[in-house]
Amino acid sequence: MKKLFRFFRSMRFGIILLCLIAVFSIVGTAIPQGREIAWYAQTYRGAHGTILRLGLNDVFGSWYFQLLLILLCLNLTLCSLLRIRAVSAAKAGEREALLRMPQSFRLDNAQRTAVRDNLRAMHCREETDGEHPVFRKNGFGRYGSFLTHLSILLTLIFGAMALYLPKTVDRSCLPGEAVLMEDGTEIAVERFRIENDEGRLDFTSELTVRLPDGRESGLREIKVNHPLSFGPWKVYQQTYGTAGSVTVQNLETKLEDTFTLTDLVFLSSDGVNGLWYEAVYPDLIRDPSGNVTLITNTSGSYPNPVYQVQTASDGVYTPILAFPGEELQVGNLKFRFEKPVEYPGLRIKYTPGFVNALLCASFLLMTAGFAVTFFCQPVLVRLDPDGCAVGGPKPEGMRIRIQEWAEENKEKETKA
Amino acid sequence: MNILFFGSLLLYFIAMALQFATVAFKKEKLGKAAWFVFLTAFAAHTVYIIVRGIVARRLPLSNQFEFATAFAWGVALMLLILRTRMKAEWLSVIAMPMTFFLLSFAALQPREITDLMPALRSGWFGFHIGSAVISYSAFVVAGCIGLRYILLARKGREEDSFKLKQMDWLSYRLVALGVLMLTVTILTGAIWAEQAWSAFWTWDPKEVWALITWIIYVVYLHLRLRSKKQGLSMAWYVMIAVPVVLFTFAGVNTLMSGMHSYA
Repeated sequence: MKKLFRFFRSMRFGIILLCLIAVFSIVGTAIPQGREIAWYAQTYRGAHGTILRLGLNDVFGSWYFQLLLILLCLNLTLCSLLRIRAVSAAKAGEREALLRMPQSFRLDNAQRTAVRDNLRAMHCREETDGEHPVFRKNGFGRYGSFLTHLSILLTLIFGAMALYLPKTVDRSCLPGEAVLMEDGTEIAVERFRIENDEGRLDFTSELTVRLPDGRESGLREIKVNHPLSFGPWKVYQQTYGTAGSVTVQNLETKLEDTFTLTDLVFLSSDGVNGLWYEAVYPDLIRDPSGNVTLITNTSGSYPNPVYQVQTASDGVYTPILAFPGEELQVGNLKFRFEKPVEYPGLRIKYTPGFVNALLCASFLLMTAGFAVTFFCQPVLVRLDPDGCAVGGPKPEGMRIRIQEWAEENKEKETKA
Repeated sequence: MNILFFGSLLLYFIAMALQFATVAFKKEKLGKAAWFVFLTAFAAHTVYIIVRGIVARRLPLSNQFEFATAFAWGVALMLLILRTRMKAEWLSVIAMPMTFFLLSFAALQPREITDLMPALRSGWFGFHIGSAVISYSAFVVAGCIGLRYILLARKGREEDSFKLKQMDWLSYRLVALGVLMLTVTILTGAIWAEQAWSAFWTWDPKEVWALITWIIYVVYLHLRLRSKKQGLSMAWYVMIAVPVVLFTFAGVNTLMSGMHSYA
């Protein structure tokens, strides 16, 4: 049992876990994830059975990948606890250990002076213990490794919470309409634009969020990278679409209404004669012989929108391409094609705000941990009359520097 | 502007050729000339990046060409710092070709200046991509040092032992810098992804390969710090890890589609 515990807390186990995570991650990027089963059967003929059985079509959601992450958390927990204990214990006896330590280098007088001057230039604290000055700096650096491991553990925990706690839905909403959420929250879109005044792509929605308790966000603008946070809700500008807009007038009653159309629909008063709306396209290309090719996609607003419709008149269907501003009469109905309506696709996320805050705090801690570990390494040097001893948890860097200073001094003297 | 770009590319090539000649003919004057040409190339390269940024009215880091140009600049800058501050002349013979290779890769990419797409218009843009440039450059230069270490260690001379120790230490420091900056890249990317796509992590191929690169170098640090592995084995390690960095930078965008496909 003791052996098993020792293995679970060991660095070797941590490295094995990291390597396994890396290997499965490579597999997860080599095999496209989350596709239809038929796609795997078609793409990996013969091997698709193995892929599906091993869950390689969803590596990152598989039980074994989750298990690796949980084991890594366990390893990090044990590692962090042991590390803080070891660091505290080592700190207590560090000075005595340094005083007992044999010399790391022999230094002549000039080299000793050079080393002392350099240590002073590094703003090391100088303490004299009898005839041996001791230089120390960055004492807190010994906690860097602990901070880093702790922050990785916290990142994994809060990251899992940030991944599994929020509920996310995608909704399209026409300007002037609203999306009603399960808890009664209403998200009303006032306006949406694809391009700004300069013609640059700038997907912007103006919307209001009303919470069930009556609180209201006021009219706010959201863009890509600039979501709206209000209460537990976060609203993102995710996608966009363009819908057709057709005004229908009944010539007998003189009644008129405008319809915003996103799907195939039949506009009629008697169910027989009328207009089949099919789609609206960004543009068309006409070749010299008069053939027309419809442009099906564009990155911004439609430059020259074209309506694809069919008129139905006494069982006769006639396909027609129409442009905004044009009118068409079928039976007693008059159809006027308006400028298409642009609408946003919103991503709406319900998330407890504290999770994001905790995760961001652990990110900060991790960055600080790495910075302290590598760039605030503790310095502990005893300067003897004929040499020096380098102590502390990570003496390697300081030993090399002292050797460099000594070499430099030697070179200078040789030149002189 | 193209003159500056291709001028610096040509100058890097000349510097590299002179550096090779220095090693082959053991002429110190050639080495000095190589360094002077390299500095001129670096100045032209820097001016090119600044001018491109002014013309584009944004940080020139938004596509494969701009990133590769900045990446090459990062490697050149590190060589410059290491040579002037740490007297690492021995690094030139490997870091100069690396700079030339990266800038040549940039030359093969489309160079036109395009408007920044809405998904990239964020305050995190500079931090995320800037830290990636520093990180990748540090890893590549560490790999260069690893290669130089292997070449020097093969000679087996006693008088090189301190130099080898210095190389090993320098390579470790660069990996440490790279890991810190890659951590910043991943974390700022996660915060940015939450603001843009609503999730901190989506297992997008670029994210996953950044994580794989991070793991590879974190394992290096553990092996070095805790297992006290140093010297030749670690030099091989940092050198073999460089292709992973290059794959994360260019291979992922070329071979895999994902949310970073525009990069």
